[in-house]
Amino acid sequence: MRLFVSALRKLGPRMATLLTFGLLAGMLVLIDVAVVATRGVGDAGPGRSGNVLALITFPGAYDEILSFILGLGGLFAVIYGAAIAGSEWTWGTLKTAVARGESRSRYLLATFAAIAVVLAIGTLFTAVVGVITAAVGATVAGISLSGIGDRAVIEALPVHFLRGWIAITETAALGFAVATLARSQLAGIGVGIALYFGETFAGLFLPDVVKYLPFHLATAAVGGSTGFAPVPSTSGPVMSTDTALVLVVAWLLAALVVAAGFGERAEITG
Amino acid sequence: MTSLAKSSPMIDSGLALATRGLRKRYGSRLALDGLDLSVPAGVVYGFLGPNGAGKTTTMRVLTGLIHADGGTVQLLGRPYSRRDRHRLFDVGSLVESPAFYPYLSGRDNLRALAASGASTPASRIDEVLEIVGLGERAADAVSRYSLGMKQRLGIAGALLNDPALLLLDEPSNGLDPAGIVAIRETFRHLASIGKTVFVSSHLLAEVQQMADVVGIIAAGRLVREGSMQELLASEGIVRVRVRPDEVAAAAATLARLAAPDRVTPSPTEAGWISIQIAPDRISEVNRSLAEAGIFASGLSSGNDLEELFLTLTGGATSTDPEGTFAGIDPESGRSTSSEVLS
Repeated sequence: MRLFVSALRKLGPRMATLLTFGLLAGMLVLIDVAVVATRGVGDAGPGRSGNVLALITFPGAYDEILSFILGLGGLFAVIYGAAIAGSEWTWGTLKTAVARGESRSRYLLATFAAIAVVLAIGTLFTAVVGVITAAVGATVAGISLSGIGDRAVIEALPVHFLRGWIAITETAALGFAVATLARSQLAGIGVGIALYFGETFAGLFLPDVVKYLPFHLATAAVGGSTGFAPVPSTSGPVMSTDTALVLVVAWLLAALVVAAGFGERAEITG
Repeated sequence: MTSLAKSSPMIDSGLALATRGLRKRYGSRLALDGLDLSVPAGVVYGFLGPNGAGKTTTMRVLTGLIHADGGTVQLLGRPYSRRDRHRLFDVGSLVESPAFYPYLSGRDNLRALAASGASTPASRIDEVLEIVGLGERAADAVSRYSLGMKQRLGIAGALLNDPALLLLDEPSNGLDPAGIVAIRETFRHLASIGKTVFVSSHLLAEVQQMADVVGIIAAGRLVREGSMQELLASEGIVRVRVRPDEVAAAAATLARLAAPDRVTPSPTEAGWISIQIAPDRISEVNRSLAEAGIFASGLSSGNDLEELFLTLTGGATSTDPEGTFAGIDPESGRSTSSEVLS
C-alpha cells in the first residue's frame, strides 16, 4: 500500500501528468470556443450546423465530451503509460528501489495502479472542464441548457465513464509494457505512438485481425463513437461492447503480466 | 598479502560480505572471473580496480540488479542470491550514479525511496539529510542540485534504513574537498559503531586515508586483499642513493635483505636504488650498506597505494622518477616519506 501511495504522490506534481490532462482539457476548451466562434458559418451544408453544435448542446454534449476524451485519451494514455514506465529505467529509480530489496513486479504493478487512478481522476477532471465549457459555450451561443439535467443521460454517464476508463487504462498498460520492454522512456513513447497509428493504418487492410487489437477494442468497448481513436472496421462482424470490454481487460492484464514478468527477470545495468 | 579466506568453501561468520568464485559474463566479455572477496564486519573496505575491472558489476550482483553466472555470495553472515531480496533490507547502496526524480525535492525523493524496501520511519529522512549536509536544501527540486549535492542525496538514500552494510560505488564522485572529508568522517564513524562500509573507488589516496581493508580487482579477479596497514608495510619501498660506481655492489648487498628481483637500480637517476621492503627497515638498509663499506648519500622510505595498485593491475611499475614518492601512514594519516640523509 505504501508503494502505491508513494507512486500516486510521485505522479501528482509530475509534468507528464499535468501536460497530459492539461492538453486534453485545453483542446476540449479550444474546440468549444471554435464551435461557438464559428456558429452560423457555413450553415448551408445539410445538418452541418447541428452536428457541430452538438458539442455544446445538452444532453447530447455529455456523450460528445466523453467520446472526445476517451478517443484522444487513448493516444494520450499510451504515451503517459510509456513515459512513466520508461522514466523508471531512464532515471534509474527502479534500480534504486530494487537495490533496497523491493520486489520488482510489486513496484511496477504499484506504479501502474497509481497510473490507473491518475487516469480516472484526470479523465474526470477533463470531463468536468468539458461540461463547464460546453455550458458556457451554449449560453454564449444562445442554446438552451434545458437538457443539462436530463436524468436518463446523466444516469448512464457513470457506466459509460467506467467503460471508457477501463479502455484508456488498457492503452496506458500497453504503453507501460512497451516502455518496460524497451527500458526507455523515449523508445516506449515512440513505439506506443507507432502502435496507435500503425493499428489504424493496418485496419484498412486487415480489419478482421485488427478489430482484436488493443486500440480498436478500446474504441469498441465504449461503443465506437469516438472522433479521434482508430475506428473499428465496419467490414468485419460487429463485436458487442461487452465482448470488446472483456477483450480489453484481457489485453490490460496481458500487458501487465508481460511488464511485471520482464521487470522481474531483467538485468538492470543502466 | 593473500585473500583473508581465499577460495575456502567455508566462509568465516565474522565477515559482513563474502563472495566465492563469483562469475559474470556480458556476451563474450568476462566481467567477473571467480571473484573471492572477504569483507570483515565493522570496517571500511576499499574496493579498488581500474576501469572495466568489474567493480560495478560486483556491486550490481550484490544488490540484486543482475544475476551472477556462478559463485556464491554471503551477505551479513548468510547466503544470498537475487531471490533473497529481503536480505537487502539491512543493506544500503549507491550503485553507479545516484538516481532520483528530478522534479521532486530532495526530501520527497527520500520519502519515495523510503516507501520501497525496508520500512523506514519518517523521522529518519531528516536525520540522513542532516548527516549529508543537505538539511537546508531538502525542499529544493533535485533538478536544481549540483552533481555533488546529488551524490550527497544518494548517500543519504543509502543510509536511510540505517544499514548494517553499506555498498557504495564511487561515493566521492562530484564532491568538493570539504564534502569528501565529511563523507570520509561519516564512513569512519559508521565503521566505529560496527557498521561495514564497502566502497569502490578509483581515488586511491582517498581510499588510503579511509579504508581499513583493501581489495584490488583486475580483470574480474581479486589480485590482492588485506588490511591497509599490512598491505602498505609489505609493499613499502626504500630508496637509497649511493655513488654511481657503487650501485652494483650496493644492489648485491641489498639483495640479501630483499629478494634480488625487489632491488632495482633506477634507469633514469644515476646512483638511486629502489628496494621493495617494509619502510620500517630503512635503518637496516643503511646499516647493511655501511657494513659493506658503502655510505648512502640519500635515503628515503615510503609506501604508496597507487604504486601497489598500478603494479597489481598491470599499470606502471616503477617508482616515481622524481624521487618524491610519499605515502600516508594508516594510523597517523600523515605522509611516511622521510629523507634521513641528503
